[in-house]
Amino acid sequence: MPLPLLPYLCEIVRLEWVRKFFFVKTAPLVTPSHFRGFPELTGKTCTHALFCMMACPAPGAIDVIKTTEGWEPRIHKGHCIRCGLCVEACPNGVLTSGRILESMFYDHTRLSFSFRIDVDTNLCMGCGNCAVACPVNKLIDAQMAYGGRASTDQLLLKVSEGKCHVLHPELCTGCKTCENHCPNEAIRVSRLLEAVHIEEEEI
Amino acid sequence: MKRTVDVSIPIGPIHPCFKEPARVKCETKGEFVLSAEVELGYMKKGIERIMRGRPWQEVMFLAERVCGICSVIHNMVFIEALEQISAIFVPDRAALLRVIVNELDRMQSHILANFSYCYTIEHETLGMYLLDVREHVMDELERITGARVTCAYIVPGGVRFDLRHEDALHMRANLAAIEGEVVRYMHMFESGPLIALRSRSIGVLTREAALEACAVGPTARASGMPEVDRRLQHPTYQKLGFIPVSRTEGDNYARIMVRFQEVLESIAIIRRCLDMLPEGPIRGGGIPGAGEIAYSGEAPRGELSYFIKTDAAGRVLDIAIQTPSIMNIEACCHYMLKGVASLADVPSTFVSADPCIACTER
Repeated sequence: MPLPLLPYLCEIVRLEWVRKFFFVKTAPLVTPSHFRGFPELTGKTCTHALFCMMACPAPGAIDVIKTTEGWEPRIHKGHCIRCGLCVEACPNGVLTSGRILESMFYDHTRLSFSFRIDVDTNLCMGCGNCAVACPVNKLIDAQMAYGGRASTDQLLLKVSEGKCHVLHPELCTGCKTCENHCPNEAIRVSRLLEAVHIEEEEI
Repeated sequence: MKRTVDVSIPIGPIHPCFKEPARVKCETKGEFVLSAEVELGYMKKGIERIMRGRPWQEVMFLAERVCGICSVIHNMVFIEALEQISAIFVPDRAALLRVIVNELDRMQSHILANFSYCYTIEHETLGMYLLDVREHVMDELERITGARVTCAYIVPGGVRFDLRHEDALHMRANLAAIEGEVVRYMHMFESGPLIALRSRSIGVLTREAALEACAVGPTARASGMPEVDRRLQHPTYQKLGFIPVSRTEGDNYARIMVRFQEVLESIAIIRRCLDMLPEGPIRGGGIPGAGEIAYSGEAPRGELSYFIKTDAAGRVLDIAIQTPSIMNIEACCHYMLKGVASLADVPSTFVSADPCIACTER
């Protein structure tokens, strides 16, 4: 009786088959180097320019935190959508993800920022909270009085004739402190992102 | 008028063959389908509501999350609409790179649609082969953009990453392999007797019916309407000089074959782009400003339109998206499914129109 089973047994314990069964031939899954993962730190010094936070399209995905060694960007992985804009935006190359950093170097690409401040004159009541809170104003005129009035015109924001006026929008760093301090939501800061090509000598 | 209806059979919203939830209600007489109606609204995201009031750099990422299968075209149409509003110039190299990425996306979407059709007619082997080819296309997409699905490749004034020389060589080699396999599977599909039994002259959409239902994309092109291809109006595609695929049968078989042929055509377009690719910058710069526009492009499923209204700071004040699947689902339920001889053909006919419910409901 065992004789008819022999061909089956031979079929099963065939060396080729056994080898296939025990030693998997499929190549292991590896993440390719060009995969754009969560941004990681490169170890370069963060200067707290905050461009990463400004470029980030996902709310609350990146913070710049002060540690004992200095400033450090921190990615919140549940919020991050891995778009890689923070990597492109950073002027110091603090973050890296996939090939973005090196391709920026080879392709001569940059993200540039500018800011635009819109004051809704219908809503503005000239309280001057924005001008007093503005950190750029503080650097220029530390003596600014309450109500946002000042004698100099070199300021970013100033209240005159009962309304807030934007004098030098190019000074704005996009921190949005004015927006947070406005009781009427009359002032809005918008970030204007521009994808640009830069010439070789500028790198 | 009184009709003899045996039973009204709902198919879906949860059905092993549907990728996304939708309910098709069929009024049947025996197995014969008298009429069909579709019920949508199982996965409304309200993404246009989320987009309103946000700056374009956030809406750009929301736009490509409207649909997971055709994300590149959403990105492309939204950004090109912004460029039209504020007259932003795109360098030649960037325009061709956009076409390459868009065509890769179209290839993977069509292969996925054909996979789900093969799966629905229970030809799982061919479906499995097709998914294997799709992985190679996804690999190419990942090599250029760094991500498989939400590529975020196109920005106003250009693209984000350049195509390197060694990647272009890699892509040519990979495209040759993909082309060989797709041709092989196309022949399998063409010559399979059981596939023909389940596909030929089933779910016929005549040219008149397609016009009446405003069918778009491959569904319309399978009914003999090559002129619906929006790529014919796109300046970069006009430079490439391609001829849209069309067939005249209008049945399930024709719709799947049109997609196969379009995959081959996309490969040809990408090759032409790679040949034509000039040296130069990939970003021209430019800040989106105020304006409003209605702009459309050709998604893998048909014509995709965006209506956008922006303010001077680049915030999206109002946005409306019209996706192709809504027209195709209409054509499918009211024209194709009418007169289908067997209930088993209802899911396969529905899938052959490639309905993308995520797009439709947004």
